[in-house]
Amino acid sequence: MSGVSLERIVKRYGALEVVHGIDLEIAPKEFVVLVGPSGCGKSTTLRMIAGLEEISGGTCRIGDRVVNRVAPKDRDVAMVFQNYALYPHLSVADNIAFGLRIRRTPKAEIASSVEEVAGILGLTPYLDRRPADLSGGQRQRVAMGRAIVRHPEVFLFDEPLSNLDAKLRTQMRAEIKRLHKRLGVTSVYVTHDQVEAMTLADRIVVMRDGRIEQIGTPMELFNDPVNTFVAGFIGSPPMNQFEAVVEAGERGPVAVANGARIALPALESLRHAQGRKVIIGIRPEHASIEPMPGASTVPVELDLIETLGSEALLHSSIGEVPFVIKAETGGDTAHLARVEAFHVAPERIKVFDHDTGRVLGAARMGVAA
Amino acid sequence: MANMNLYSRGDKWFVIANMVLVGLFTIATLYPFLYIAAVSFSSGFAAAAGTVVLTPVNFTIAAYERVLSEPEFWRSYANTFIYTFGGTAVSLLIIIPGAYALSRPQLIGRRFWNLFVAFTMWFNAGLIPFFLNMRDLGLLDSYFGIIIGFALNAFNIILLRNFFESIPSSFEEAARMDGANEFQVLWKVYVPLSKPAIATITLFCIVARWNGFFWAMVLLQSEDKIPLQVYLRQLIAELSDDEEFTSTLISAAYSVETVTAAIIVCSIIPVLLIYPWVQKYFNKGILLGGVKE
Repeated sequence: MSGVSLERIVKRYGALEVVHGIDLEIAPKEFVVLVGPSGCGKSTTLRMIAGLEEISGGTCRIGDRVVNRVAPKDRDVAMVFQNYALYPHLSVADNIAFGLRIRRTPKAEIASSVEEVAGILGLTPYLDRRPADLSGGQRQRVAMGRAIVRHPEVFLFDEPLSNLDAKLRTQMRAEIKRLHKRLGVTSVYVTHDQVEAMTLADRIVVMRDGRIEQIGTPMELFNDPVNTFVAGFIGSPPMNQFEAVVEAGERGPVAVANGARIALPALESLRHAQGRKVIIGIRPEHASIEPMPGASTVPVELDLIETLGSEALLHSSIGEVPFVIKAETGGDTAHLARVEAFHVAPERIKVFDHDTGRVLGAARMGVAA
Repeated sequence: MANMNLYSRGDKWFVIANMVLVGLFTIATLYPFLYIAAVSFSSGFAAAAGTVVLTPVNFTIAAYERVLSEPEFWRSYANTFIYTFGGTAVSLLIIIPGAYALSRPQLIGRRFWNLFVAFTMWFNAGLIPFFLNMRDLGLLDSYFGIIIGFALNAFNIILLRNFFESIPSSFEEAARMDGANEFQVLWKVYVPLSKPAIATITLFCIVARWNGFFWAMVLLQSEDKIPLQVYLRQLIAELSDDEEFTSTLISAAYSVETVTAAIIVCSIIPVLLIYPWVQKYFNKGILLGGVKE
């Protein structure tokens, strides 16, 4: 299995540069998800790996081979498209076999490959049907079958689940994960859905405006986002963020926002930061409704409770600033209606620079400078 | 008819007016066919006297006996088949790749080439330059000249180009990822997806070729190469000039009118037979299920 390596990859349409020199190393067998809002360049990057878009600058390698000038068909990659792009005039079996026929694979081999792939994807009963006679999930499976039948070095997925309904999406997500485990093919997956990214990825690449914001495992991105953008993008519901001013407290720095005083982690960069404006980030799941030793108590005004079952989202506000709390229901929501404050431990709080949005150094006072 | 209660008063009148108009239009289109068929089976006397309205008067097949016994009729009929099907095949072979090339965004100078093709729809050299051109190319009086000289029609190219452009580009991309080259993308993906459009231009080509009269008359001299339409005109002229034939008109079982009508009926039949075969491709939704937008 081959890895994929992108070095200073640039995409320009005329004078307009949309991807600004991306560096990315994808290890063999790794499942990497490119995630970001619309127009962030994630699909363009994927299409450059596929060979469907010309690479304006930089080097793209698949395995050890530079593929900048290699035609898509010779890159040994397969792609699953957002709109499936199944050939409507061909049966399921012929759709899966199309690539093999084009490559003049012997007939007997085609038949056994199609059979095998149909077995893996549960498509055996539908081999004679046309795409129009299939459900959305089945079509998506045919599109994947068309990709895996060729045993490519790399799979590329371009938002493959975005046309499915929520239930089917969850189901197909698990199937893709299972398929990757089974086949172990290097995969690059593009989505704007951070839940898909979190559940599927070995590593996530968060992109914005044609640049990579952060690369890391799902938990790294969740626990240690490098800036407010990643913090707001990864996690559902997103991290609460609000402006605050740093003051010196009795036991360390505190943030003051809308009258609330919140103890901050003992970061080296906050030591002499009195009066500094910062952005405070607190994940909804880290705001507890039960008091904890050492935690700050922040009074809130409860606005609305969204019940999800075992959990509930408490939409509230600190003064004017909206704040979401994720709380366990324990099977009953009556006690949640009486919530007047949340409690947060200092080590759970992220502090970002007010102007750049970058997280303030993880270095802690007294540990390392 | 749909339940009229679902329509408002104004809608009802609109529907009724539509039906009346469509009905009138249908009659206006259908009547000449019925009339010609009736004349072809009527006696020469009745046809000349103008008493045929909708059904044959003094039913006879004498006109058909006369027409079908002419070897020239059969030869010109065969020629028409050659021009029609040979010409249509050559046209499609040129139009399909041409339209595909013009529809591709990566074609260098695409705007220029499209304008270049469209230009010929509005402007052409005219009769005499075209004739001289054909003469200088040595294409006068030949099957090949008729077939190749009229193989390309800008309207058909643009029609098909527009259809190709409407096919989502992910089909092309998927085929390219599957390993197809440009020709395979065209013949294995775009052509099967474009059956309705290709059926339409095939029908246009066939009908134009089948009815082709003027240029065949101008460009062909040999009797053995003329198509049916030119033969029809010659026969009408011949019969009209034949004094013996016209003077014995009253007693004749057939006349110029009935013979003409019989040939017209013979020449219409193949096109009538082709249309239902082509029509089955005129169903929409061929792209259904392939992509989801």
